[in-house]
Amino acid sequence: MITQNLISPVKILGMIAALMTIAACASTEPGCPSPQTRNLDSAIGFVKTSLNTGCESHFDRYYDDLLTIAEGDPKPENKRIFSEFLLWSGDQGLLSTRQAQEYYNRFFNVKFMSMKGDYNNCSHTCPNKQRMLFDMERELSDKERGLLKVSEDRDGYYRADRLYQEVELVLEATCTACAASR
Amino acid sequence: MNNKRPLAIPPDPARRQATLGLLLACSLLIFAQSVLANTPTIRLFPTTVVEDLKQTGNVARDMETGLQEVIGRLDQQQQLYVESKCDGAENDPGCQRLARQIGATYLEMLTIMEERLPDMEHTVNNTRISLERGLRNELGKKMTPWQLQETLVGKTAASAPAQASPTLRGRSGMRLSERFRQYYQLVATSGSQSDQSLAVLASDIYLDMEETSVLIERTRQEIARATLMEQLNQSFGIITPEMMEVVGGVKTILFGDEDARALVAGPPPGSVEQAYRSPLEQ
Repeated sequence: MITQNLISPVKILGMIAALMTIAACASTEPGCPSPQTRNLDSAIGFVKTSLNTGCESHFDRYYDDLLTIAEGDPKPENKRIFSEFLLWSGDQGLLSTRQAQEYYNRFFNVKFMSMKGDYNNCSHTCPNKQRMLFDMERELSDKERGLLKVSEDRDGYYRADRLYQEVELVLEATCTACAASR
Repeated sequence: MNNKRPLAIPPDPARRQATLGLLLACSLLIFAQSVLANTPTIRLFPTTVVEDLKQTGNVARDMETGLQEVIGRLDQQQQLYVESKCDGAENDPGCQRLARQIGATYLEMLTIMEERLPDMEHTVNNTRISLERGLRNELGKKMTPWQLQETLVGKTAASAPAQASPTLRGRSGMRLSERFRQYYQLVATSGSQSDQSLAVLASDIYLDMEETSVLIERTRQEIARATLMEQLNQSFGIITPEMMEVVGGVKTILFGDEDARALVAGPPPGSVEQAYRSPLEQ
């Protein structure tokens, strides 16, 4: 009896170890390394292959890698290259249309995706004004990357920056006016 | 007898084409007009606001004119007080007389302000309330955040370079009447401005009216208190530091403070190349 009681914990430990090994083997993904090239077109080719061969869950990291590579060779044409890559991702079923729009507009459009909303400003925006402005501020830094550092679109970036300031001013006035009616 | 039938006009293909073209052009014109008529425009500046701004500017100018002479006199008296080395010699009869003179001029200033401020308060509040209603209805209740953003960006967001628009913030270095005169001019010519600048302009004026309104209310309360205090001080011939502060504050509000003038840096010139528009763009 005593011997049996001593052995059983050892057996249990062994079984756990075996199960862990099996689980580890089952969840092993193919290696999903980042593109090593500094050429954007080659990097996109590499990323497309990786995304089609089991690395789709690394989409965010790959997008970030591509932006970093593009920062090394900024030009207005990069906007089109990223747009085509996102459209391809949509066609492959890696992203929904809405996601593709979000990825593109957040980095390459003057308008802020943080200002999406279906309800009026008095009822929806004003109670969440601070959070919206905080989100816009973060989005502005993405736009700095996409518009300024990747696409060399200075006008676009400075327009976005001014838009942020205008929204801040107009929301302050509008929300004060909304609150005054209560 | 002339049996000739009236001459029928032979069909002329060129004329028919011209008529058709004219009809087409007319219908296109009518269509374009109806599209323009249906374009939503935000109504933020009713005529009452324009009139209120003009009125406030006039009241502010009258107040400045009335106070300018008194404040000038007060400055001279203060200078004389300092030059006579009255600081620390308050018991000297000459200094006491000077202090009483300063106090009397100070009371004069408070009285002028007390007389003029109700008019000012009235017109500022009218402007504020009209703008408040417009902002709440047009931008607050009728628009989603996305629509507000589109109004601010305008139709040419992606293609037009950023325009240098006049910035209104940082008005402290400006005479009060000049400030309202500028507002009036901007609003009076608002018909020629786009919705995007109207929204910013209305917000800016409204927030300024809010601040001014609060400031006037506080000033009126302070005047009542300061008048009482100075009437008491007159019997002793004392110049209080508070008195000098109030005078300084009034000067800053009315005539502006050059040091406080805020300069807004503009962005560096951007590149001209801007051609690509993605199908994903919203």
